[in-house]
Amino acid sequence: MTRVRSLTLVAVLAVFATAPLLLAPVGAQQLSDRAKQIGGKFMCMCGCSQVLTQCNHVGCSTSAAMLKELSQSLATGSSEDAITQMFVQEFGTKVYAEPPKSGFSLIAWMMPSVYLIVGAGLVVFVIFRWRKVGERPAVAPASTPGISAEMLSRGRAQAARDTED
Amino acid sequence: MDVFGSFALVLAFVCAVYAFAGGIAAIITRHPLLIKSTRQAGIATCSLIFLATFSLEYLFFSDNFSIAYVVSHSNRDLSTFYKIAALWSGQEGSLLFWSFLLSIYVFSVLIAYRNKNGELMPYVGVVMAGVQIFFLTLNNFVASPFKALAVPGADGVMNYVARADGNGLTPLLQYPEMVIHPPNLYSGYTGFTIPFAFALGALLARYPGEKWIHLTRKWTMIAWTFQTMGILLGAHWAYAVLGWGGYWGWDPVENASLLPWLTGTAFLHSVMMQEKRGMMKVWNVWLVFSTFLLCILGTFLTRSGVVSSVHAFAQSSIGNWFVGFLGLILLVCLGAYIKNRDYLKSENQLDSVVSRESSFLFNNLLLLVACIAVLSGTLFPVFSEWITGDRISVGAPFFNKVNIPIGLLLLFLTGVGPLLAWRKTSTESLKRNFGWPLLVGLIVGAVVFALGFREFYSLVCFVLCMFVAATIVLEFYRGGRVLRARSGASFAACVIDLTMRNTRRYGGYIVHVGMVFVFIGLAGAAFNRDVQKDMQIGQTMQIGPYTLVLQTMDTKPEKNYTAHRMVVEVLRDNKPLMVLYPEKRRFSTSKEENGTMVAIYSTLKEDLYVVYAGQSPETQMPVIHAYLNPLVKWIWFGGVVVVFGTLVALLPNRRAVLVLAGAPQPAGQPLPHGLTPSVTLREGHD
Repeated sequence: MTRVRSLTLVAVLAVFATAPLLLAPVGAQQLSDRAKQIGGKFMCMCGCSQVLTQCNHVGCSTSAAMLKELSQSLATGSSEDAITQMFVQEFGTKVYAEPPKSGFSLIAWMMPSVYLIVGAGLVVFVIFRWRKVGERPAVAPASTPGISAEMLSRGRAQAARDTED
Repeated sequence: MDVFGSFALVLAFVCAVYAFAGGIAAIITRHPLLIKSTRQAGIATCSLIFLATFSLEYLFFSDNFSIAYVVSHSNRDLSTFYKIAALWSGQEGSLLFWSFLLSIYVFSVLIAYRNKNGELMPYVGVVMAGVQIFFLTLNNFVASPFKALAVPGADGVMNYVARADGNGLTPLLQYPEMVIHPPNLYSGYTGFTIPFAFALGALLARYPGEKWIHLTRKWTMIAWTFQTMGILLGAHWAYAVLGWGGYWGWDPVENASLLPWLTGTAFLHSVMMQEKRGMMKVWNVWLVFSTFLLCILGTFLTRSGVVSSVHAFAQSSIGNWFVGFLGLILLVCLGAYIKNRDYLKSENQLDSVVSRESSFLFNNLLLLVACIAVLSGTLFPVFSEWITGDRISVGAPFFNKVNIPIGLLLLFLTGVGPLLAWRKTSTESLKRNFGWPLLVGLIVGAVVFALGFREFYSLVCFVLCMFVAATIVLEFYRGGRVLRARSGASFAACVIDLTMRNTRRYGGYIVHVGMVFVFIGLAGAAFNRDVQKDMQIGQTMQIGPYTLVLQTMDTKPEKNYTAHRMVVEVLRDNKPLMVLYPEKRRFSTSKEENGTMVAIYSTLKEDLYVVYAGQSPETQMPVIHAYLNPLVKWIWFGGVVVVFGTLVALLPNRRAVLVLAGAPQPAGQPLPHGLTPSVTLREGHD
């Protein structure tokens, strides 16, 4: 490897490597306050389908009112559970930003894992089944001392296909 | 012009019906004249849809406020730029625009293959005409954009009227990206019709070989590129206009655009298995079917009002049409598959678990799991309401928790897959290909950890990004080195030559590099910070190394709106850097809805994102909401690289990759097909 090429290679890799390092001088992330943390667990009820603390539509009175209610509840010493109950009573279960991990909602959490496990099982099954087919002894052209033109052509086509991409 | 447009649409519908019915007759009778006439009918359908679309645009440009759709989505002061975009800003116009884009594809296919693939094209033509009939039915009989404006008179009779001015375009849509984001996204959605038509046509025709795969690959890539651009432009629009500091909120409409992208991506990978090994034929056909079905499902979600979204069109009964169409397509696909499934018999065999084939299977598994997880999460509120009576929301936190691990696994496979050999990869090859990249990734991980980063997913993401980047860079380096040894040209010229010799392979690598950039940008989101403060003139606020000084407030009248701006001086480490102008826009046509324009100072390191968040109700002072979002620019840059890579992959190869003559003859190791190879199949790198 020549010096120039080595430097080029290192420079290209450095472009990628610097990405996380760019974050370094920023230091620790500013911790959100309790209202922000709890507010992240609810949806804004203005119909925007965004998390309460992320809804910033100009003039969105719904998120402003909900955040105010949240802050007031925290100021009076309400617990997170009590605030959750308050919002659920006010808006229904659609106020949750993520489904609760209990009851019917548990299905929402379980399904992705089920898809992954069942899918992985299927893939492993398929791989081993295909491998079995691959392990079957190929019928060798024992009686053919040379290679026919047709075989050569097929072999070349196969090789070209296998090395194209 | 409205009569002309309506007439063109009706005539297009008639031509499409002829292309469909005549096409079926042509398939049965094999009459050459009938085949030719149905193709001409298909071309006529497209031409008439073009005319209808141009008529509607003409009505916008001529401020014809006797047409209900023009009144609802335009006004005299609307700039020319946005009068183009007004076409797709409402239900009726966007459906016509859908037909228009679909027609461009259909027209191109009919012209490009007019003298080719004679056995297959009548089937393809029938499928394309079938899809056109559905959308033309909507354009003509369900949601016509050419309806005249009518108001009820005192006697209750509807009278045609013309308004002096229109209601104007929704403020949120008056942004440059809204002129290019929907066309890109729609071009993606509609473009997937072509691979669907070829797949279904080939299945119905029992078209021999893998030719339909070769024919559809580039159409799939074109549609996929548009879908990618559409998604990224939409994300940028959300970032720059909605003012919530993020670019992806897992909104149902955003999710709807992601679903066909995921299955389309899976198809673009698994299709190689069929091309090279004759494997996964059933899987590929169903991937194409699913991608098209998800396009229609996404359209249904956007237009039916079944899920709530800030992006969605008004709730309407049009959703029932889409449900019917979805059911019909599913039935046709199932019927075609059951009838002709023996045609899809694959040559499935695998020499080793550690092979490219296995990596593609896992790649497809992860993409499909991500797709189904997003789909089920999006529809869960609807199902929960049906079953329990309570609508349970599924928001961004759920989707992030589910999809981030899947995304990281996919990123890992992005590095591993391309370096595994077809059929079998030896331990030696694994060491040679992965040793250095793994080491580089781990070193970067250790350095980042030592610097104090403890966000688990971001840390893993950076390590994997470095690993993937290193594998790709090494691939280019090795190939370039070989060519340089042969030609003596410069290394850069050799790398370009290498890429042009096998555009598909190296274009694919460039796409992967783009995805690495995107993932780096996404990993930065874990470090976002924000501060909100009521500000008096002259007051300052601090975020990271930046000091924001509210210099003044001003008002800037424009033709269609008035901008209320903050003039914010930005200092970095107490040195003046620049002035930002976050603004709120008050549109003359909209009493309730306002626009916002975020001011962004963007660098590779971070975005300083400043929003004029309105006036505080308590203090009556203007409020600044400032965000510091690290690495966001990498996402947009990554998108550009992805598109560039796809364009490279679409180019034809400059010359043959291998010269087989004179290759050494290996000692009798038979190929699985019983052939003795005349060349050794190179392990890895392919």
